[in-house]
Amino acid sequence: MTIAAALGLLPLAAGAQEMPAAKANCAAMDQNLPADLAGWTVQTPLAAAASPAGLAKATITPGKAIAGDLPQTSTVKFVTQPERPGGSVSHGGMFELKIDKAGTYLIALGSGAWIDVLKDGKPLTSTAHSPGPACSTLRKMVDFPLEPGRYVLQVSANADAKLPILLARRP
Amino acid sequence: MKALAASLALAAAAVFLAAFAPPQWRWDLPPGVAPPPVPADNPMSAAKVELGRRLFYDGDLSVDGTVGCFNCHGQHRGFTESNAVHPGVKGAPGRRNAMMLGNVAYLSALTWADPRQRSLEAQVLTPLTGEHPVEMGMKGQEAELTRRLSADACYRRQFAEAFPGEPAAIDVPHVAKAIAAFERTLVSFGSAYDRGALDEAAKRGQGVFATLGCAACHKGRLFTDADAADPLSAFHRIEPANARDPGLSEITGKTDDAGRFRTPSLRNVALSSPYLHDGSAKTLAEAIRRHDGAAGIGDAEMADLTAFLGALTDQTFVTDPKLGLPKTRCGKPL
Repeated sequence: MTIAAALGLLPLAAGAQEMPAAKANCAAMDQNLPADLAGWTVQTPLAAAASPAGLAKATITPGKAIAGDLPQTSTVKFVTQPERPGGSVSHGGMFELKIDKAGTYLIALGSGAWIDVLKDGKPLTSTAHSPGPACSTLRKMVDFPLEPGRYVLQVSANADAKLPILLARRP
Repeated sequence: MKALAASLALAAAAVFLAAFAPPQWRWDLPPGVAPPPVPADNPMSAAKVELGRRLFYDGDLSVDGTVGCFNCHGQHRGFTESNAVHPGVKGAPGRRNAMMLGNVAYLSALTWADPRQRSLEAQVLTPLTGEHPVEMGMKGQEAELTRRLSADACYRRQFAEAFPGEPAAIDVPHVAKAIAAFERTLVSFGSAYDRGALDEAAKRGQGVFATLGCAACHKGRLFTDADAADPLSAFHRIEPANARDPGLSEITGKTDDAGRFRTPSLRNVALSSPYLHDGSAKTLAEAIRRHDGAAGIGDAEMADLTAFLGALTDQTFVTDPKLGLPKTRCGKPL
């Protein structure tokens, strides 16, 4: 038995998404964000798809934040069952991610909602999780290594109908 | 003629009762393991367990639909999770590390520091409607919970099957009964230790475990003393009490109980970091060294001891689809 096996070390999967840390008192929010998060402060409204058929009209491109509009979970037909589906009264939905350049991409959220990134209908394994920077409205960031192509971002178990989201390539 | 009529009536009554009686529950336990105690007013049935499983994984048990029992008690970590403490709904601050649920049905002391919690049915209310801390935030929302669940045709059918003959069963007490029934099926006795398949390091670690006296509290097949008839005997102090969390004394009011917390089971412990009541120990080694008599343990002994504790991991238990997020609802794929 290896030490890793003995300790039951787990791969860093989507199932290990950390809950965001509580924010300290701040004089101002979202000032001096790192360069890769600079797009966070300009958020364009975008309605999430409630079914796979609506994905083409819900595309997120790197570097440009959206103010996501999420339907109630009870009306959403996900591509695949989210690991944390959320109750009927929560909010969720889907977006298409368009990647032109290979790299590690972060998906930043304004809440602690659950996310799955799918390729060909199957969830990818994330490589890092972190809360947003101090004194920012980013609550949670999850990294995924992505090749050029199209992916599905599933958002689930969000309390509100509105959710800021940023897809950004790590430097 | 009267006798014949009475016999027919009795036979009809028997058929009627049989039609409403849930099928007898069959425990799937390894040889030598007795079934856990089951309260007389909440008998096990397959329908009730399946309902409880669905409820366990349903975010609608929280006020904003975002938190289900499984958020803090995730299967792949032995029915606990990776946060030191888990915030409740709407960012409510968490208080203590989520406890593992494996073999919880065998325990008489259920929580870190409240010996009054002795029934799984009653304990469900702590996360559901509790306010210290707020977890699922459903206090005062009991009617809303009934509304949500009743709106779902599959839930209506499942409650009817789980609680036959009880027409108004979609309420908090029956939710608690169903979840408790599911929790009683979280039985974990399938580790390498149970199979007698310890490797050399784990065998040496078992010796270290005995030498250090770990089994004084992490005792028996459950690796905890929380199954004792007197639940107060399961609360111990491994470090000086601190003001952040008074532990058992918060309930008993006794100064000497300050800093006492219930002995957690060590089954699946390798999956359940971080450790201790506040999640302040990130690794098994750190948690072990914070116990009396273990601070100076050497690296080689620690490696052996953690190998032994790793041999208490029951991979079948943490991957069994029957205990995981339901993939179907009333027979329909989700």
